[in-house]
Amino acid sequence: MPRVELFDVATSPILVSDYFRDGDPGPIVAALANVPELVGPTIGFIGAALGDGAASTRHKEFAVLRTSVLQGCRYCVHAHSAASLDAGLTVDEIRALRGECETDGVFPDAGERALIRWIDAMGGATGPVPDAVWEAARDLWPEHVLVELSVTIGATMFLNRFATGFELPSSHETVDRLVEVGLE
Amino acid sequence: MTVDADLLPSAAVGPIADAVASGELPGRVWLYSNYHCNLACSYCLTESSPRSARRELDPGFMLAVARQARELGFAALGVTGGEPMLLPWLPETVAAMADELPVVVLTNGTLFGGERIERVRVLARPDIAVQISLDSHLADVNDMARGPANFEKVIDAVPRLLALGVRVRIATTTSGPLDDPALDPLRKLVASLGVASDDHLIRPIVRRGRADRNDLGVVAAVSDIPCELTITADGAFWGSFGPTVRAGRLDTDMLLTRTVLPLSVPANALLGTVRGMPPGTDARLGIR
Repeated sequence: MPRVELFDVATSPILVSDYFRDGDPGPIVAALANVPELVGPTIGFIGAALGDGAASTRHKEFAVLRTSVLQGCRYCVHAHSAASLDAGLTVDEIRALRGECETDGVFPDAGERALIRWIDAMGGATGPVPDAVWEAARDLWPEHVLVELSVTIGATMFLNRFATGFELPSSHETVDRLVEVGLE
Repeated sequence: MTVDADLLPSAAVGPIADAVASGELPGRVWLYSNYHCNLACSYCLTESSPRSARRELDPGFMLAVARQARELGFAALGVTGGEPMLLPWLPETVAAMADELPVVVLTNGTLFGGERIERVRVLARPDIAVQISLDSHLADVNDMARGPANFEKVIDAVPRLLALGVRVRIATTTSGPLDDPALDPLRKLVASLGVASDDHLIRPIVRRGRADRNDLGVVAAVSDIPCELTITADGAFWGSFGPTVRAGRLDTDMLLTRTVLPLSVPANALLGTVRGMPPGTDARLGIR
């Protein structure tokens, strides 16, 4: 059970009723609607942070899924395992990003391996990113991509705490889809 | 001389002032000072009763709303509840608010008996009106909806308030047509009490709160509710008919923002919402 009220079309505040016009907007918006004035800015930020940008959709999903695993967010791991499938990641790649097997054997590209180590240092640790991890990432990725992905990681960490702290439920459709491909 | 608040010129500038001046936004800001009440009327929007959670605003907060409302360009204030007069500090706070903008304060009129009327002497000024509910010229009909001896207390209070110099308005809430000839005896009674006809409001029961549970009143869409910015302990709402309570739960369908100060936050949210409404969705039900 979620720990806060999840608004629906009948109870949705007038300021955010557009988000509910086409049905259930999902538990993030439904919970955020407790503070209607935060919905627009927060969803706008999340959209910018997780949406299309200089970094590819594939690598954004690296950042979101890996960070969510490191932060122990069941809701976001479910949601972004499915989103990663949509982005074209293989089941094995998703398993590796979820820490269920070694990443090095699944990602042959040195750039992607360096990126994953940097994501781990950004989204799963405290303190400075080790020099070797930063230098390996910077050698293979433009700085603006790393800056963009750092925003993705930060937005993901917010979502992780929000979804985990309020015990937001994964959708049945998402879980069923993951079961179908052996990811749940 | 009485002051029609909505006609007062505003010295404020900015989008809210412009919207109020052009009529795009109503000029009045409402404050729910509290939710508890000594009565438990059958059609109460907020299910108020002596047992209701108080959810009071404090005087300093109310004054801050009043000051910021003036600065933004609103033209008037309203205080409602619950029963505002249950708050011992309310008359002095309303008087201080009226130093910012004209105020109407809604009351059931039952707390002015005997010496108690002296506490509202501070409301005897042209920029304050006290609006008292009275629903029928027949005591038993009125009291059936509003509670025992309500009619008698109101009939006693109105002339005494007027004698004190307090401007009194009467609000009648009806389940029938607003122009029902059956209301004529009540109109005559109100006039006989010394209340000007312009100060007698007749409005429909809105099917929200306890009225909904009791199957009373008209169903009102958001567009039927005047979009007067309304401040409560739970946030800011679209209209004074917005922050209703049903089965003990606050209705959130007309919730604008949880942020209430600075008042520009809910005011701008209200203006943005008004501008997002489809054309032609004007109020039709005479709700006020």
